[in-house]
Amino acid sequence: MLRKDINDLLTQTGPRSPMGELFRQYWIPALLAEELPEDDCPQVRVKLLSERLLAFRDSEGRYGLIDEFCAHRGASLWFARNEEGGIRCAYHGWKFDTTGQCVEVPSEADNSSFCQNVKLRAYPLVKIGDVLWTYMGDPATTPPLPEWEFALVPAEQTYTSKRWQQCNWLQAFEGGIDSSHVTFLHSGGLKTDPLFKGAKGNEYNLNDTKPFFEVADSEGGLFVGARRNAEEGTYYWRITPWVMPCFTMVPPRGDHPIHGHFWIPIDDENCWAYSFDYHPVRALTPEERQAMIDGHGVHSENIPGTYRPVANMDNDYLMDRDAQRRGAFFSGIKGIAIQDSSLQESMGPVVDRSKERLVPADSGIIKARQKLRKAAIALRDEGTVPPGVDPAHHHVRSAAVVLEQKESFLDSCREAVRVVPGTPVASV
Amino acid sequence: MTLPLTTTLSSCARAATAAEASYRVDTPLNPARGVRVIALDPGAAVVTGRLAVQEWTSARFFTCSGDAGGVVLQGVGGVPASLDEQLTEADVVLLVATEDAGAGCAYAVGRACWERGIMTAGVVVSEGFEAEHAVAALRPHARVLLPTADETDVVELLSALRA
Repeated sequence: MLRKDINDLLTQTGPRSPMGELFRQYWIPALLAEELPEDDCPQVRVKLLSERLLAFRDSEGRYGLIDEFCAHRGASLWFARNEEGGIRCAYHGWKFDTTGQCVEVPSEADNSSFCQNVKLRAYPLVKIGDVLWTYMGDPATTPPLPEWEFALVPAEQTYTSKRWQQCNWLQAFEGGIDSSHVTFLHSGGLKTDPLFKGAKGNEYNLNDTKPFFEVADSEGGLFVGARRNAEEGTYYWRITPWVMPCFTMVPPRGDHPIHGHFWIPIDDENCWAYSFDYHPVRALTPEERQAMIDGHGVHSENIPGTYRPVANMDNDYLMDRDAQRRGAFFSGIKGIAIQDSSLQESMGPVVDRSKERLVPADSGIIKARQKLRKAAIALRDEGTVPPGVDPAHHHVRSAAVVLEQKESFLDSCREAVRVVPGTPVASV
Repeated sequence: MTLPLTTTLSSCARAATAAEASYRVDTPLNPARGVRVIALDPGAAVVTGRLAVQEWTSARFFTCSGDAGGVVLQGVGGVPASLDEQLTEADVVLLVATEDAGAGCAYAVGRACWERGIMTAGVVVSEGFEAEHAVAALRPHARVLLPTADETDVVELLSALRA
Protein backbone atom coordinates (compact mmCIF):
# COMPACT_ATOMS: atom_id res chain seq x y z
CA MET A 1 0.00 0.00 0.00
CA LEU A 2 1.27 3.41 -0.92
CA ARG A 3 -0.27 6.77 -0.09
CA LYS A 4 -1.43 8.81 -3.07
CA ASP A 5 1.13 11.56 -2.52
CA ILE A 6 3.98 9.05 -2.50
CA ASN A 7 2.56 7.26 -5.52
CA ASP A 8 2.45 10.60 -7.33
CA LEU A 9 6.02 11.33 -6.31
CA LEU A 10 7.29 8.00 -7.66
CA THR A 11 5.31 7.94 -10.88
CA GLN A 12 5.64 11.53 -12.13
CA THR A 13 8.85 12.12 -14.06
CA GLY A 14 8.27 15.35 -15.94
CA PRO A 15 10.57 18.38 -15.64
CA ARG A 16 10.94 19.75 -12.11
CA SER A 17 9.19 16.80 -10.47
CA PRO A 18 11.33 15.09 -7.77
CA MET A 19 11.40 11.75 -9.60
CA GLY A 20 11.93 13.53 -12.92
CA GLU A 21 14.94 15.27 -11.44
CA LEU A 22 16.17 11.91 -10.14
CA PHE A 23 15.99 10.36 -13.61
CA ARG A 24 17.83 13.40 -14.95
CA GLN A 25 20.89 12.44 -12.88
CA TYR A 26 21.56 9.37 -15.03
CA TRP A 27 22.58 8.43 -18.54
CA ILE A 28 19.47 6.66 -19.84
CA PRO A 29 18.63 4.92 -23.12
CA ALA A 30 17.07 7.44 -25.53
CA LEU A 31 16.71 5.19 -28.57
CA LEU A 32 18.33 2.26 -30.30
CA ALA A 33 21.31 2.93 -32.53
CA GLU A 34 19.47 1.18 -35.37
CA GLU A 35 16.95 4.04 -35.39
CA LEU A 36 19.62 6.40 -36.75
CA PRO A 37 21.48 3.96 -38.99
CA GLU A 38 23.51 6.36 -41.16
CA ASP A 39 24.59 9.97 -41.59
CA ASP A 40 21.78 12.31 -42.70
CA CYS A 41 19.18 9.55 -42.19
CA PRO A 42 15.61 10.53 -41.29
CA GLN A 43 15.27 12.10 -37.86
CA VAL A 44 13.21 10.43 -35.14
CA ARG A 45 10.70 11.85 -32.69
CA VAL A 46 11.71 10.92 -29.14
CA LYS A 47 9.58 11.58 -26.08
CA LEU A 48 11.46 11.12 -22.82
CA LEU A 49 10.55 12.10 -19.27
CA SER A 50 7.56 14.03 -20.69
CA GLU A 51 9.74 16.13 -23.01
CA ARG A 52 9.19 16.04 -26.77
CA LEU A 53 12.53 15.80 -28.51
CA LEU A 54 14.01 15.02 -31.89
CA ALA A 55 17.00 12.76 -32.50
CA PHE A 56 19.11 13.03 -35.63
CA ARG A 57 22.49 12.11 -37.03
CA ASP A 58 24.15 14.78 -39.11
CA SER A 59 26.39 14.60 -42.17
CA GLU A 60 29.47 14.13 -39.99
CA GLY A 61 27.99 11.26 -37.97
CA ARG A 62 27.32 13.43 -34.93
CA TYR A 63 24.24 12.55 -32.91
CA GLY A 64 21.87 15.22 -31.65
CA LEU A 65 18.88 15.20 -29.33
CA ILE A 66 17.11 18.56 -29.43
CA ASP A 67 13.75 20.19 -28.75
CA GLU A 68 11.33 18.80 -31.35
CA PHE A 69 9.95 22.21 -32.24
CA CYS A 70 11.50 25.02 -34.25
CA ALA A 71 12.34 28.14 -32.26
CA HIS A 72 10.67 30.30 -34.90
CA ARG A 73 6.97 29.38 -35.05
CA GLY A 74 6.92 26.07 -33.20
CA ALA A 75 6.63 23.74 -36.18
CA SER A 76 7.79 20.19 -35.64
CA LEU A 77 11.28 19.49 -36.91
CA TRP A 78 10.15 15.97 -37.74
CA PHE A 79 9.21 17.53 -41.10
CA ALA A 80 12.64 19.14 -41.45
CA ARG A 81 15.39 18.28 -43.92
CA ASN A 82 18.45 16.62 -42.41
CA GLU A 83 21.18 18.04 -44.63
CA GLU A 84 24.70 19.45 -44.68
CA GLY A 85 25.53 19.29 -41.01
CA GLY A 86 22.21 20.28 -39.52
CA ILE A 87 18.46 19.99 -39.56
CA ARG A 88 16.53 22.61 -41.52
CA CYS A 89 12.93 23.42 -40.64
CA ALA A 90 10.60 22.71 -43.55
CA TYR A 91 8.51 25.81 -42.77
CA HIS A 92 10.91 28.78 -43.14
CA GLY A 93 14.31 27.12 -43.43
CA TRP A 94 15.79 27.82 -40.01
CA LYS A 95 18.66 25.40 -39.46
CA PHE A 96 19.98 23.86 -36.23
CA ASP A 97 23.05 21.76 -35.47
CA THR A 98 23.32 18.78 -33.08
CA THR A 99 23.90 21.08 -30.11
CA GLY A 100 20.60 22.84 -30.80
CA GLN A 101 22.41 25.95 -31.97
CA CYS A 102 20.65 27.83 -34.74
CA VAL A 103 23.18 28.19 -37.55
CA GLU A 104 21.08 29.78 -40.27
CA VAL A 105 17.98 32.01 -40.52
CA PRO A 106 17.41 32.55 -44.25
CA SER A 107 15.20 35.59 -43.80
CA GLU A 108 18.01 37.49 -42.07
CA ALA A 109 20.78 39.35 -43.82
CA ASP A 110 23.82 37.30 -44.79
CA ASN A 111 25.99 39.07 -42.23
CA SER A 112 23.36 38.95 -39.45
CA SER A 113 24.34 37.53 -36.07
CA PHE A 114 20.69 36.94 -35.18
CA CYS A 115 20.94 33.16 -35.12
CA GLN A 116 23.74 33.18 -32.57
CA ASN A 117 21.18 34.04 -29.92
CA VAL A 118 18.81 31.26 -30.92
CA LYS A 119 19.40 27.87 -29.38
CA LEU A 120 17.08 24.95 -28.78
CA ARG A 121 17.31 22.84 -25.65
CA ALA A 122 19.64 19.96 -26.49
CA TYR A 123 20.96 16.94 -24.68
CA PRO A 124 24.03 14.84 -25.41
CA LEU A 125 23.46 11.63 -27.35
CA VAL A 126 26.17 8.99 -27.24
CA LYS A 127 26.35 5.54 -28.83
CA ILE A 128 27.51 2.76 -26.51
CA GLY A 129 26.71 -0.75 -27.72
CA ASP A 130 23.36 -0.95 -29.49
CA VAL A 131 21.94 1.99 -27.57
CA LEU A 132 22.04 5.78 -27.89
CA TRP A 133 22.25 7.21 -24.36
CA THR A 134 21.35 10.65 -23.17
CA TYR A 135 21.80 12.69 -20.03
CA MET A 136 19.03 15.22 -19.45
CA GLY A 137 20.32 16.87 -16.29
CA ASP A 138 22.49 19.87 -15.49
CA PRO A 139 25.45 19.85 -17.93
CA ALA A 140 27.70 20.99 -15.09
CA THR A 141 27.15 17.70 -13.29
CA THR A 142 27.27 15.31 -16.25
CA PRO A 143 28.35 11.95 -14.83
CA PRO A 144 30.84 9.60 -16.49
CA LEU A 145 29.41 7.47 -19.30
CA PRO A 146 27.56 4.28 -18.35
CA GLU A 147 29.50 1.02 -18.05
CA TRP A 148 26.85 -1.68 -18.31
CA GLU A 149 28.41 -4.97 -19.38
CA PHE A 150 25.76 -5.73 -22.03
CA ALA A 151 26.70 -2.51 -23.83
CA LEU A 152 30.46 -3.00 -23.59
CA VAL A 153 30.91 -6.59 -24.83
CA PRO A 154 31.71 -7.05 -28.55
CA ALA A 155 28.77 -6.53 -30.91
CA GLU A 156 28.48 -10.22 -31.79
CA GLN A 157 27.85 -11.05 -28.11
CA THR A 158 24.91 -8.74 -27.49
CA TYR A 159 21.43 -7.86 -28.73
CA THR A 160 19.04 -5.14 -27.55
CA SER A 161 15.39 -4.54 -28.46
CA LYS A 162 12.74 -2.21 -27.22
CA ARG A 163 8.97 -2.09 -27.02
CA TRP A 164 6.39 0.51 -26.16
CA GLN A 165 4.52 -0.25 -22.96
CA GLN A 166 1.30 1.65 -22.30
CA CYS A 167 1.59 2.26 -18.58
CA ASN A 168 3.66 4.18 -16.07
CA TRP A 169 7.29 3.16 -15.77
CA LEU A 170 7.02 2.11 -12.11
CA GLN A 171 4.47 -0.67 -12.55
CA ALA A 172 6.52 -2.03 -15.47
CA PHE A 173 9.75 -1.84 -13.49
CA GLU A 174 8.23 -3.50 -10.42
CA GLY A 175 7.69 -6.64 -12.49
CA GLY A 176 11.46 -6.83 -12.87
CA ILE A 177 12.08 -7.35 -9.17
CA ASP A 178 9.00 -9.48 -8.53
CA SER A 179 10.49 -12.97 -8.70
CA SER A 180 7.43 -14.78 -7.40
CA HIS A 181 5.33 -14.23 -10.53
CA VAL A 182 7.68 -16.27 -12.72
CA THR A 183 6.45 -19.61 -11.45
CA PHE A 184 2.90 -18.77 -12.50
CA LEU A 185 2.77 -16.27 -15.32
CA HIS A 186 5.83 -17.56 -17.20
CA SER A 187 5.56 -21.24 -16.32
CA GLY A 188 4.86 -22.26 -19.92
CA GLY A 189 7.90 -20.40 -21.23
CA LEU A 190 10.31 -22.20 -18.93
CA LYS A 191 9.49 -25.43 -20.78
CA THR A 192 9.27 -24.16 -24.35
CA ASP A 193 11.03 -20.83 -24.93
CA PRO A 194 14.24 -21.45 -26.91
CA LEU A 195 16.10 -18.89 -24.79
CA PHE A 196 15.04 -20.44 -21.46
CA LYS A 197 14.35 -24.12 -21.88
CA GLY A 198 16.62 -26.97 -20.91
CA ALA A 199 18.32 -25.41 -17.90
CA LYS A 200 18.58 -27.49 -14.76
CA GLY A 201 17.45 -24.48 -12.75
CA ASN A 202 14.06 -24.53 -14.50
CA GLU A 203 13.23 -27.77 -12.68
CA TYR A 204 13.84 -26.13 -9.32
CA ASN A 205 11.64 -23.23 -10.39
CA LEU A 206 8.76 -25.46 -11.38
CA ASN A 207 9.08 -27.88 -8.46
CA ASP A 208 9.00 -25.25 -5.72
CA THR A 209 6.28 -22.66 -6.18
CA LYS A 210 6.76 -21.01 -2.78
CA PRO A 211 10.19 -19.40 -2.81
CA PHE A 212 11.79 -17.70 0.17
CA PHE A 213 13.15 -14.20 -0.40
CA GLU A 214 16.03 -12.16 0.89
CA VAL A 215 16.35 -8.49 -0.01
CA ALA A 216 19.72 -6.88 0.58
CA ASP A 217 21.07 -3.40 -0.08
CA SER A 218 23.77 -2.90 -2.65
CA GLU A 219 25.78 0.20 -3.49
CA GLY A 220 23.61 0.90 -6.52
CA GLY A 221 20.27 -0.43 -5.32
CA LEU A 222 19.31 -3.93 -4.23
CA PHE A 223 19.96 -7.60 -4.66
CA VAL A 224 16.81 -9.70 -4.44
CA GLY A 225 17.51 -13.36 -3.74
CA ALA A 226 14.79 -15.96 -4.36
CA ARG A 227 15.50 -19.31 -2.75
CA ARG A 228 13.93 -22.63 -3.69
CA ASN A 229 14.58 -26.17 -2.60
CA ALA A 230 17.15 -28.06 -4.67
CA GLU A 231 18.79 -31.39 -3.89
CA GLU A 232 18.97 -32.60 -0.28
CA GLY A 233 20.72 -30.04 1.90
CA THR A 234 20.90 -27.39 -0.81
CA TYR A 235 18.97 -24.39 -2.09
CA TYR A 236 18.63 -22.99 -5.59
CA TRP A 237 19.13 -19.22 -5.48
CA ARG A 238 18.11 -16.78 -8.19
CA ILE A 239 19.70 -13.39 -7.60
CA THR A 240 18.25 -10.31 -9.27
CA PRO A 241 20.16 -7.03 -9.14
CA TRP A 242 18.40 -3.70 -9.33
CA VAL A 243 20.46 -0.59 -9.96
CA MET A 244 18.70 2.72 -9.51
CA PRO A 245 16.59 3.97 -10.99
CA CYS A 246 15.37 1.33 -13.45
CA PHE A 247 17.96 -1.30 -14.41
CA THR A 248 17.25 -4.94 -13.59
CA MET A 249 18.72 -8.23 -14.71
CA VAL A 250 17.00 -11.59 -14.86
CA PRO A 251 18.93 -14.48 -13.31
CA PRO A 252 20.46 -16.70 -16.00
CA ARG A 253 19.40 -20.16 -17.09
CA GLY A 254 22.10 -22.69 -18.01
CA ASP A 255 24.36 -21.43 -20.80
CA HIS A 256 21.65 -19.29 -22.35
CA PRO A 257 22.49 -15.61 -22.82
CA ILE A 258 21.81 -13.45 -19.79
CA HIS A 259 19.19 -10.72 -20.02
CA GLY A 260 17.70 -7.68 -18.41
CA HIS A 261 15.80 -4.46 -18.85
CA PHE A 262 15.63 -0.73 -18.50
CA TRP A 263 12.20 0.87 -18.03
CA ILE A 264 12.39 4.41 -19.32
CA PRO A 265 9.52 6.86 -18.82
CA ILE A 266 8.13 8.32 -22.04
CA ASP A 267 5.57 10.29 -20.07
CA ASP A 268 3.61 9.44 -16.96
CA GLU A 269 1.37 6.94 -18.79
CA ASN A 270 3.83 5.28 -21.17
CA CYS A 271 7.31 3.82 -21.02
CA TRP A 272 9.91 2.08 -23.13
CA ALA A 273 10.98 -1.39 -22.11
CA TYR A 274 14.56 -1.84 -23.33
CA SER A 275 15.43 -5.52 -23.23
CA PHE A 276 18.94 -6.86 -23.72
CA ASP A 277 20.55 -10.27 -24.02
CA TYR A 278 24.27 -10.93 -24.02
CA HIS A 279 26.82 -13.60 -23.35
CA PRO A 280 30.00 -12.42 -21.64
CA VAL A 281 32.32 -15.03 -23.15
CA ARG A 282 31.00 -16.03 -26.56
CA ALA A 283 29.14 -14.74 -29.61
CA LEU A 284 25.40 -15.26 -29.73
CA THR A 285 24.62 -18.13 -32.06
CA PRO A 286 22.60 -17.36 -35.21
CA GLU A 287 19.74 -19.35 -33.70
CA GLU A 288 19.82 -17.34 -30.48
CA ARG A 289 19.94 -14.02 -32.31
CA GLN A 290 17.07 -15.05 -34.57
CA ALA A 291 15.02 -16.16 -31.56
CA MET A 292 15.51 -12.71 -30.04
CA ILE A 293 14.53 -10.98 -33.29
CA ASP A 294 11.46 -13.23 -33.45
CA GLY A 295 10.38 -12.06 -30.00
CA HIS A 296 11.35 -15.00 -27.81
CA GLY A 297 12.84 -14.72 -24.34
CA VAL A 298 12.43 -11.23 -22.92
CA HIS A 299 11.96 -9.67 -26.36
CA SER A 300 8.74 -9.02 -28.26
CA GLU A 301 7.59 -9.46 -31.82
CA ASN A 302 6.91 -5.89 -32.93
CA ILE A 303 4.78 -4.50 -35.73
CA PRO A 304 7.28 -4.06 -38.59
CA GLY A 305 8.69 -0.56 -38.73
CA THR A 306 7.57 0.20 -35.19
CA TYR A 307 8.41 -0.68 -31.61
CA ARG A 308 4.83 -1.56 -30.77
CA PRO A 309 4.28 -5.26 -30.03
CA VAL A 310 2.15 -7.22 -32.47
CA ALA A 311 0.14 -8.43 -29.48
CA ASN A 312 -1.11 -5.29 -27.77
CA MET A 313 -4.12 -3.91 -25.95
CA ASP A 314 -5.91 -3.07 -29.19
CA ASN A 315 -6.21 -6.76 -30.09
CA ASP A 316 -6.56 -8.08 -26.55
CA TYR A 317 -2.95 -9.26 -26.75
CA LEU A 318 -4.13 -12.08 -29.05
CA MET A 319 -5.60 -13.84 -26.03
CA ASP A 320 -5.76 -17.60 -26.60
CA ARG A 321 -8.23 -19.12 -24.13
CA ASP A 322 -7.63 -22.59 -25.52
CA ALA A 323 -3.88 -22.32 -24.83
CA GLN A 324 -4.74 -21.08 -21.36
CA ARG A 325 -6.95 -24.11 -20.73
CA ARG A 326 -4.28 -26.47 -22.04
CA GLY A 327 -1.68 -24.83 -19.80
CA ALA A 328 0.54 -23.84 -22.70
CA PHE A 329 0.38 -20.22 -21.50
CA PHE A 330 -0.76 -19.64 -17.94
CA SER A 331 -2.53 -16.37 -18.81
CA GLY A 332 -3.46 -17.29 -22.37
CA ILE A 333 -0.95 -14.75 -23.71
CA LYS A 334 2.04 -15.86 -25.76
CA GLY A 335 5.56 -14.66 -24.94
CA ILE A 336 7.29 -13.61 -21.73
CA ALA A 337 7.38 -9.90 -22.58
CA ILE A 338 3.71 -9.65 -23.50
CA GLN A 339 2.66 -11.80 -20.57
CA ASP A 340 4.21 -9.12 -18.38
CA SER A 341 3.04 -6.06 -20.31
CA SER A 342 -0.55 -7.29 -20.67
CA LEU A 343 -1.01 -7.58 -16.92
CA GLN A 344 0.91 -4.42 -16.10
CA GLU A 345 -1.09 -2.40 -18.65
CA SER A 346 -4.33 -3.92 -17.35
CA MET A 347 -3.73 -2.07 -14.06
CA GLY A 348 -4.43 1.20 -15.90
CA PRO A 349 -2.05 3.97 -16.98
CA VAL A 350 -0.99 4.67 -13.37
CA VAL A 351 -2.13 2.10 -10.86
CA ASP A 352 -3.70 3.35 -7.62
CA ARG A 353 -1.35 1.81 -5.07
CA SER A 354 -3.46 2.96 -2.14
CA LYS A 355 -5.67 -0.03 -2.93
CA GLU A 356 -2.98 -2.68 -2.95
CA ARG A 357 -2.86 -5.59 -0.57
CA LEU A 358 0.83 -6.40 -0.44
CA VAL A 359 2.32 -9.39 1.34
CA PRO A 360 5.80 -9.93 2.78
CA ALA A 361 6.85 -11.65 -0.48
CA ASP A 362 6.59 -8.20 -2.06
CA SER A 363 9.44 -6.92 0.11
CA GLY A 364 11.68 -6.26 -2.89
CA ILE A 365 9.08 -3.90 -4.32
CA ILE A 366 8.48 -2.27 -0.93
CA LYS A 367 12.19 -1.69 -0.43
CA ALA A 368 12.76 -0.39 -3.96
CA ARG A 369 9.96 2.16 -3.58
CA GLN A 370 11.46 3.30 -0.30
CA LYS A 371 14.91 3.74 -1.83
CA LEU A 372 13.54 5.66 -4.80
CA ARG A 373 11.53 7.95 -2.55
CA LYS A 374 14.43 8.62 -0.21
CA ALA A 375 16.82 9.25 -3.09
CA ALA A 376 14.42 11.66 -4.81
CA ILE A 377 13.88 13.61 -1.59
CA ALA A 378 17.59 13.64 -0.69
CA LEU A 379 18.36 14.98 -4.15
CA ARG A 380 15.67 17.64 -3.93
CA ASP A 381 16.43 18.77 -0.38
CA GLU A 382 20.18 18.26 -0.10
CA GLY A 383 21.47 17.75 -3.62
CA THR A 384 22.65 14.25 -2.77
CA VAL A 385 23.84 12.30 -5.81
CA PRO A 386 21.71 9.13 -5.91
CA PRO A 387 22.98 5.55 -6.07
CA GLY A 388 23.49 4.19 -9.57
CA VAL A 389 25.05 7.33 -11.05
CA ASP A 390 28.59 6.11 -10.36
CA PRO A 391 29.60 3.74 -13.20
CA ALA A 392 31.13 1.44 -10.60
CA HIS A 393 27.55 0.61 -9.60
CA HIS A 394 26.89 -0.67 -13.12
CA HIS A 395 29.32 -3.58 -12.76
CA VAL A 396 26.70 -6.08 -11.59
CA ARG A 397 25.39 -9.39 -12.85
CA SER A 398 22.52 -11.62 -11.96
CA ALA A 399 23.28 -15.18 -10.90
CA ALA A 400 21.58 -18.55 -10.45
CA VAL A 401 23.41 -20.94 -8.14
CA VAL A 402 22.92 -23.96 -5.90
CA LEU A 403 24.32 -23.42 -2.41
CA GLU A 404 24.54 -25.42 0.79
CA GLN A 405 21.57 -24.58 2.97
CA LYS A 406 23.73 -22.91 5.59
CA GLU A 407 25.32 -20.51 3.10
CA SER A 408 24.34 -16.88 2.68
CA PHE A 409 23.66 -15.98 -0.94
CA LEU A 410 25.36 -12.63 -0.63
CA ASP A 411 28.48 -13.99 1.04
CA SER A 412 28.78 -16.92 -1.33
CA CYS A 413 27.99 -14.94 -4.47
CA ARG A 414 29.89 -11.74 -3.80
CA GLU A 415 32.12 -12.44 -6.80
CA ALA A 416 29.38 -13.97 -8.92
CA VAL A 417 27.28 -10.79 -8.91
CA ARG A 418 30.22 -8.59 -9.93
CA VAL A 419 31.28 -8.10 -13.53
CA VAL A 420 34.64 -9.60 -14.31
CA PRO A 421 35.03 -9.06 -18.05
CA GLY A 422 35.59 -12.20 -20.05
CA THR A 423 34.36 -14.58 -17.37
CA PRO A 424 31.17 -16.64 -17.54
CA VAL A 425 28.13 -15.91 -15.40
CA ALA A 426 27.28 -18.11 -12.43
CA SER A 427 24.39 -20.13 -13.78
CA VAL A 428 22.59 -23.43 -13.33
CA MET B 1 -27.29 -8.36 -34.72
CA THR B 2 -23.89 -8.92 -33.09
CA LEU B 3 -21.15 -6.63 -34.29
CA PRO B 4 -17.93 -8.37 -35.24
CA LEU B 5 -15.27 -7.78 -32.63
CA THR B 6 -12.99 -6.10 -35.12
CA THR B 7 -15.36 -3.15 -35.43
CA THR B 8 -15.24 -2.29 -31.74
CA LEU B 9 -12.50 -1.04 -29.48
CA SER B 10 -10.95 -4.11 -27.90
CA SER B 11 -11.98 -4.85 -24.36
CA CYS B 12 -8.41 -4.46 -23.05
CA ALA B 13 -7.81 -1.09 -24.73
CA ARG B 14 -11.06 0.28 -23.37
CA ALA B 15 -10.61 -1.21 -19.92
CA ALA B 16 -7.07 0.12 -19.45
CA THR B 17 -7.93 3.81 -19.82
CA ALA B 18 -7.72 6.26 -16.94
CA ALA B 19 -11.41 7.02 -17.44
CA GLU B 20 -12.36 3.38 -16.91
CA ALA B 21 -10.19 3.24 -13.78
CA SER B 22 -12.64 5.64 -12.15
CA TYR B 23 -15.30 2.93 -12.28
CA ARG B 24 -13.34 0.49 -10.18
CA VAL B 25 -15.17 -0.83 -7.15
CA ASP B 26 -14.34 1.52 -4.34
CA THR B 27 -14.95 -0.66 -1.31
CA PRO B 28 -12.12 -0.08 1.18
CA LEU B 29 -9.81 -3.01 1.70
CA ASN B 30 -9.75 -4.57 5.10
CA PRO B 31 -6.58 -3.99 7.07
CA ALA B 32 -4.31 -6.95 7.64
CA ARG B 33 -6.01 -9.39 9.98
CA GLY B 34 -3.23 -9.34 12.45
CA VAL B 35 0.45 -8.52 12.34
CA ARG B 36 2.58 -9.54 15.28
CA VAL B 37 6.00 -7.92 15.62
CA ILE B 38 8.36 -9.86 17.85
CA ALA B 39 11.73 -8.51 18.99
CA LEU B 40 14.23 -11.33 19.40
CA ASP B 41 16.95 -9.57 21.38
CA PRO B 42 17.42 -6.47 23.57
CA GLY B 43 18.56 -4.31 20.64
CA ALA B 44 15.51 -5.34 18.66
CA ALA B 45 13.32 -4.53 21.66
CA VAL B 46 14.59 -0.95 21.54
CA VAL B 47 13.65 -0.75 17.85
CA THR B 48 10.17 -2.22 18.30
CA GLY B 49 9.65 -0.08 21.40
CA ARG B 50 10.03 3.01 19.25
CA LEU B 51 7.62 1.58 16.67
CA ALA B 52 5.00 0.50 19.19
CA VAL B 53 4.13 4.07 20.12
CA GLN B 54 3.13 4.86 16.55
CA GLU B 55 -0.41 4.37 15.33
CA TRP B 56 -1.12 0.96 13.79
CA THR B 57 -4.30 -0.75 12.72
CA SER B 58 -3.63 -4.32 13.71
CA ALA B 59 0.04 -4.57 14.60
CA ARG B 60 0.92 -5.71 18.11
CA PHE B 61 4.45 -5.53 19.49
CA PHE B 62 6.22 -8.01 21.78
CA THR B 63 9.56 -8.88 23.21
CA CYS B 64 10.55 -12.49 23.42
CA SER B 65 12.58 -14.57 25.86
CA GLY B 66 13.27 -18.26 26.12
CA ASP B 67 14.89 -20.70 23.77
CA ALA B 68 14.13 -23.20 21.06
CA GLY B 69 12.09 -25.25 23.49
CA GLY B 70 9.62 -22.49 24.25
CA VAL B 71 9.24 -18.76 24.50
CA VAL B 72 7.54 -16.17 26.63
CA LEU B 73 6.18 -13.01 25.06
CA GLN B 74 5.80 -9.67 26.74
CA GLY B 75 3.70 -6.91 25.28
CA VAL B 76 4.09 -3.18 25.69
CA GLY B 77 4.50 -2.35 29.39
CA GLY B 78 5.70 -5.85 30.17
CA VAL B 79 2.30 -7.51 29.99
CA PRO B 80 2.83 -11.26 29.48
CA ALA B 81 1.25 -12.82 26.42
CA SER B 82 0.83 -16.32 25.10
CA LEU B 83 2.48 -17.09 21.77
CA ASP B 84 -0.27 -19.56 20.99
CA GLU B 85 -3.00 -16.98 21.56
CA GLN B 86 -1.23 -14.30 19.59
CA LEU B 87 -0.74 -16.59 16.62
CA THR B 88 -4.40 -17.51 16.62
CA GLU B 89 -5.22 -13.99 15.49
CA ALA B 90 -2.20 -13.42 13.25
CA ASP B 91 -1.64 -13.78 9.55
CA VAL B 92 1.85 -12.28 9.48
CA VAL B 93 4.60 -12.46 12.08
CA LEU B 94 7.50 -10.06 11.74
CA LEU B 95 10.63 -11.10 13.58
CA VAL B 96 13.11 -8.32 14.36
CA ALA B 97 16.71 -9.03 15.31
CA THR B 98 19.86 -6.98 15.77
CA GLU B 99 22.26 -9.81 16.60
CA ASP B 100 22.18 -13.57 16.90
CA ALA B 101 21.26 -13.91 20.57
CA GLY B 102 17.64 -14.60 19.66
CA ALA B 103 18.32 -17.61 17.44
CA GLY B 104 16.56 -19.99 19.85
CA CYS B 105 13.49 -17.76 20.04
CA ALA B 106 13.49 -17.42 16.26
CA TYR B 107 13.42 -21.17 15.92
CA ALA B 108 10.54 -21.56 18.38
CA VAL B 109 8.43 -18.79 16.87
CA GLY B 110 9.26 -19.84 13.32
CA ARG B 111 8.27 -23.42 13.96
CA ALA B 112 5.00 -22.37 15.60
CA CYS B 113 4.19 -20.17 12.60
CA TRP B 114 5.08 -22.95 10.18
CA GLU B 115 2.73 -25.35 11.91
CA ARG B 116 -0.10 -22.82 11.63
CA GLY B 117 0.65 -21.72 8.07
CA ILE B 118 1.42 -18.15 9.13
CA MET B 119 3.68 -16.05 6.94
CA THR B 120 6.90 -15.05 8.68
CA ALA B 121 9.16 -12.18 7.74
CA GLY B 122 12.44 -11.25 9.35
CA VAL B 123 14.16 -7.89 9.52
CA VAL B 124 17.73 -7.79 10.78
CA VAL B 125 18.59 -4.23 11.76
CA SER B 126 22.33 -4.03 12.07
CA GLU B 127 25.49 -2.70 10.55
CA GLY B 128 28.59 -4.80 10.35
CA PHE B 129 29.39 -8.42 10.87
CA GLU B 130 27.12 -9.10 13.82
CA ALA B 131 24.26 -9.05 11.35
CA GLU B 132 25.60 -12.07 9.48
CA HIS B 133 24.91 -14.33 12.44
CA ALA B 134 21.47 -12.87 12.97
CA VAL B 135 20.60 -13.33 9.32
CA ALA B 136 21.80 -16.93 9.44
CA ALA B 137 19.77 -17.51 12.57
CA LEU B 138 16.60 -16.18 10.98
CA ARG B 139 17.04 -17.69 7.51
CA PRO B 140 15.36 -21.03 8.19
CA HIS B 141 12.35 -19.37 9.81
CA ALA B 142 11.56 -16.29 7.74
CA ARG B 143 9.99 -16.66 4.33
CA VAL B 144 11.17 -13.14 3.65
CA LEU B 145 14.36 -11.74 5.12
CA LEU B 146 15.62 -8.15 5.02
CA PRO B 147 19.06 -7.45 6.38
CA THR B 148 19.27 -3.67 6.71
CA ALA B 149 21.09 -0.89 8.45
CA ASP B 150 17.96 1.26 8.42
CA GLU B 151 15.31 0.61 11.06
CA THR B 152 12.75 2.60 9.07
CA ASP B 153 12.60 -0.48 6.84
CA VAL B 154 10.44 -2.03 9.56
CA VAL B 155 8.06 0.93 9.37
CA GLU B 156 7.96 0.74 5.58
CA LEU B 157 7.21 -2.95 5.64
CA LEU B 158 4.46 -2.61 8.23
CA SER B 159 2.90 0.34 6.40
CA ALA B 160 2.94 -1.50 3.09
CA LEU B 161 1.25 -4.47 4.74
CA ARG B 162 -1.51 -2.22 6.15
CA ALA B 163 -0.53 -3.26 9.65
